[in-house]
Amino acid sequence: MATRKKVLLKVIILGDSSVGKTSLMNQYVNKKFTNQYKATIGADFLTKEVMVDDRIVTMQIWDTAGQERFQSLGVAFYRGADCCVLVFDVTSPGSFKSLDGWRDEFLIQASPSDPDHFPFVVLGNKVDLDNRAVSTKRAQQWCQSKNGLPYFETSAKEAVNVEQAFKTIARNALAQESDVELYNEFPDQIKLDGGSSDNRSSGGDNCAC
Amino acid sequence: MEETQETDTTTLISDINDIAIQDPVVSKSVTENEPVPSSPEQGSSYEILFDQLKEKNKHIFVLSTAGKPIYTRFGNENQMASLFGLMIALVSVTQDSNDTLQSICCGQTRIVFLNKDPLILVGVSQSSEPYDQIKKQLIYVYNNIISTLTLTQLKKIFHNRTNFDLRRLMSGSERLIDKLITFTENDPGFLLDSISCLQMPSSSRDKITQTILTQCSKIKNLVFGLLIAQKHVISIVRMKKYSLHVSDIHLILNLINSTESFKTAESWTPICLPTFDSSGYMHAHISYLAEDCQACLVLLTIDHNLFFTLSDAKRKITEKMRCNDCLHAINEAIIRQPISLARANITGLRHLLYKNKNRSQHWCPPFTSPYNTDELQQNLMSVYCSLISQINFPGRTLKVIFQQLTAETMLAWATEDVELYMTFEPLVSKECATNAVTKLTQWMKKEEDSLFIFNIPMF
Repeated sequence: MATRKKVLLKVIILGDSSVGKTSLMNQYVNKKFTNQYKATIGADFLTKEVMVDDRIVTMQIWDTAGQERFQSLGVAFYRGADCCVLVFDVTSPGSFKSLDGWRDEFLIQASPSDPDHFPFVVLGNKVDLDNRAVSTKRAQQWCQSKNGLPYFETSAKEAVNVEQAFKTIARNALAQESDVELYNEFPDQIKLDGGSSDNRSSGGDNCAC
Repeated sequence: MEETQETDTTTLISDINDIAIQDPVVSKSVTENEPVPSSPEQGSSYEILFDQLKEKNKHIFVLSTAGKPIYTRFGNENQMASLFGLMIALVSVTQDSNDTLQSICCGQTRIVFLNKDPLILVGVSQSSEPYDQIKKQLIYVYNNIISTLTLTQLKKIFHNRTNFDLRRLMSGSERLIDKLITFTENDPGFLLDSISCLQMPSSSRDKITQTILTQCSKIKNLVFGLLIAQKHVISIVRMKKYSLHVSDIHLILNLINSTESFKTAESWTPICLPTFDSSGYMHAHISYLAEDCQACLVLLTIDHNLFFTLSDAKRKITEKMRCNDCLHAINEAIIRQPISLARANITGLRHLLYKNKNRSQHWCPPFTSPYNTDELQQNLMSVYCSLISQINFPGRTLKVIFQQLTAETMLAWATEDVELYMTFEPLVSKECATNAVTKLTQWMKKEEDSLFIFNIPMF
């Protein structure tokens, strides 16, 4: 069969509470926005299929709780992520300052094999609001200082840049996937040790003998 | 009964229907509050998915500890990516409080979790199957994955890349898992931890075994030889000090019976036998004896350079068997009507399962009236399953169970050497049933030579 291999990417969204993580995800997956704020407790999961360079990619998006008291999923959350999306609110300098912390937290918990080149994407959300407090330049500088992370200014409310941002997220995660080594070498030959190990010895339970 | 089985484990029994596949909207998130209102599109696609899932009685899911889908018995695992996320969340939350999530019950639905880092297996059954049974099915599925990859490889892969999408290495083996699950649902060998033997006179069997042994005993690093006819074993030979575990034989049987191409060419395939040694591959020479004899010979070695030696041995075995009439004896045994329970002539006895515990072999006579449909046979298997589970419950020494059900009367009888599960007509008395045990035991003494393999020689 000539079908391309299936690809599934685990994408984690991190950032302070109320920066708009859930809203971004909802805008992206469901094309919907609500002004109502509800804290995410634990986690929420959404799935979206996208085409990236004519490959069908399934994005498994893990929306996390920004509020510390609702963060209860621990290491499992970060383990095996293909991409991490860091979100801040351009009207909240505090949420921007927290990015360092979120990034470190991710790198510690997920311990990716190549932390310097792990695909992060940074989103400055809520650019539709007037009371902006973090300039584009400041955000870009921070991204530059971290090995040039891609940066997008988004509005979940007005659907600005959301699609583009997620496309980059998928593409960058895929780029990591493609250089995976193949595991086709045979492992060591089994050694016959005269049946000394328990499960090989004769006369044990359920041996057809 | 089923509930008490779980008292000695740290099972989390929960009534929260939220987690069951009953409320599609809530179950995709672990939020306690209502989730942010999702759009009709997302909501309805989940509803369709969950409706489809609910139609099936039994689900098996495999995922990595990162929450990435690896296998689902039904449906497309990509579309269920959120559901897999939810599963890992449930496992992880319990793990964080230093506990292990083993099962969730909600009404008739039972969800069983098996954590085999770096894999997690989840079984969902809507037909009140015992916990142990579902767990054993999960172990079988896990073993099947190990048999294609080895545990060493599996651990290495996820150690190097926790985000690895294991489906990349599994393509092609999903079919084997599908078949294996069906096997675990239908085959008494799975319930009884035993194999079924092709019925034939013991003199013929001995001659076959001797022929295989003569060729095999001289080959260095050959560990096991098996001759198989469909679901039944004809003969086993083995290297001194090593024996084949029943669950490994089940994997071999499943591989052979699920792979049509073995019939057309001799094959050389690596296979890991998880109970024998999960760290590495055995190498199996698999071939059917001859065009005119559809028994499959499996020769297992640790040496991956042994193909031509084994190919040669197989050719000689077939030649010899043709000369000494063994091929003929096998063909006769394959086409012969399996021995009928009617021959035992026991009043009121409809069906039975007989397990020789020392040999881990069983006999299951063909179903006869009134068990004429798949559904009725399946129901009877569920009754057996429940009895087997009760007789073998760890720490309990239950020897006899007499059970009068609406459609049949059941008797389970366990001794040191034998487990016997008998199905009678509904109104059969206790006395009548116990008399039948004596009668059957005497009859079995005469027949067992042809029903079981007693001679498994070593070299």
